[in-house]
Amino acid sequence: MSGAANPVQPLCPCEGEDPEKLAQFEQRIADGVHIEPGDWMPEAYRMGMIGMAEHHANSEIIGALPEGEWITRAPSLRRKLALTAKVQDEVGHGQMLYRVSQELGKSRDHMLRDLITGNTKYHHCFNYPAPTWADIAMIQWLIDGAAIMNQKTLAEGAYGPYVRTMNRINMEEAFHFKSGEDMVLTLMSGTKSQKAMTQEAFDRWWSITLMFFGPHDKPDAESRPAMRWRMKVETNNSLRQRFVNRFAPAAKDLGLIINVCEKDANGFVTSAREDELCRCDDTTGNWTFTDPDWDEFFRVIRGNGPCNAHRLSLRRFSYEQGAWVRNAVAHGAVNTPPAA
Amino acid sequence: MSKRRDIMYDFPGDLPGGKPDDAHWAVYTRKKEDGPARWAGYLDAVDVTLALQYAREHYGQDEVCTGILIHRHEALADSEYGVDPIAGGDASGDDGEAWTVFAQRRRGMIHIEAGTVRAPDAATAVARARSKFANGKVSNIRVVREADCYQTTPDELAIWRNHDMSYKLARGYSKDVRAKWAQFRSRSDDDRYASEDIKDHY
Repeated sequence: MSGAANPVQPLCPCEGEDPEKLAQFEQRIADGVHIEPGDWMPEAYRMGMIGMAEHHANSEIIGALPEGEWITRAPSLRRKLALTAKVQDEVGHGQMLYRVSQELGKSRDHMLRDLITGNTKYHHCFNYPAPTWADIAMIQWLIDGAAIMNQKTLAEGAYGPYVRTMNRINMEEAFHFKSGEDMVLTLMSGTKSQKAMTQEAFDRWWSITLMFFGPHDKPDAESRPAMRWRMKVETNNSLRQRFVNRFAPAAKDLGLIINVCEKDANGFVTSAREDELCRCDDTTGNWTFTDPDWDEFFRVIRGNGPCNAHRLSLRRFSYEQGAWVRNAVAHGAVNTPPAA
Repeated sequence: MSKRRDIMYDFPGDLPGGKPDDAHWAVYTRKKEDGPARWAGYLDAVDVTLALQYAREHYGQDEVCTGILIHRHEALADSEYGVDPIAGGDASGDDGEAWTVFAQRRRGMIHIEAGTVRAPDAATAVARARSKFANGKVSNIRVVREADCYQTTPDELAIWRNHDMSYKLARGYSKDVRAKWAQFRSRSDDDRYASEDIKDHY
């Protein structure tokens, strides 16, 4: 679902590296050649790719939590089947992405433990609640829509194993997004209360999605290792602009109002006013928009979002409660499950 | 919603001890019964039975799949990854056991089953596979002993289920979505919006 955020930025990316090998590595990337297992790579690249794939994998499995809550409450059997399939897909994506990092030298168990202990992070958007079915529709339409835009570019990156995994994942993301579109369209074709519920969910998720692509780029973003080494191929701001250009007119055509909202500590909207900046600039063809609250973004990624503690608590519960199953599968020893 | 999800668990102390990773497996799927096995992804599993089960549940369900082939990651032997197509060579011979050959057309692309060779060891298998399959069109040759490849059997339950699975495919929604958008916006606006879709899968 999620798409990777900014890869880990090395402070001194090339210090101590063989200059000849480094030059060859960078020339290879500049020529559009993929990096494959066994190729020489600078340590900063290896660490950056481990971090990027790990962050992406973490986001996939945590992202399954808010959606999993709605499987039992989906409004129809088809929606229930689709949501179950989507959650299965997301966890599968996480497994595939962990493997990319494993191949670069970090064990899966280490990654799972780092996630639980907070040593590594995941996408901020999964730290918000999904109180209504319309929130699930918005996650699949807006967040998965943003993820697809991001992941299409990640599939043009340089690291072969990650690119192949992106291509496989994007096949399923296409279903997630179309299903979300269908849900939003159905709700906005429905009753007054369905439309009101959808507007409220849109208010909750629009600014969160604007933040999905990460903070504003540094002025030298395109020359930094992440883009020079094609770990990512498009800047945050460029992706965000393309997202708004696509979804703002679509939202307005659906009858949704694009609001600037204030939220409480639980992630619920306390006030909303129409974003007067949100319109198409006929000169550039781009949509202008009010910047999201970046203080909120940094607050959430530092652990102080509405659901951070709860997500990690549930993750740790699953890890500890599942230990006896892992032991049984691995060693054939079956002990009494721990008390809940 | 399950009450379990409302609870905020309190975990005093450190995480219990971790464990080493399970064995790594590469997974390939066949779209047609007589088609080549195409790389699909990876999984971790303690043994072949569980690996095949996981492969069926994940990789056998996300697109049409008539067969699955898996092997342990350690079982593969690769040639170099050429920036240009790798040279073929002239190694030949028919001694030894059977090896399954996979070829990667270009860096960044997936490995696809190309055929088999016979050889007494991995290095010879790679060399003979290059001669046979690296005809100026592949960047990497991979071999795996046939005995180390595990496949689903034809008499197993159909991996691709017989009921309507359009609920989990993009193409199961695209026609309806198009029709619903028509209530809200013009076709040209919808075309512009849809240009960002991942079209391969509709």
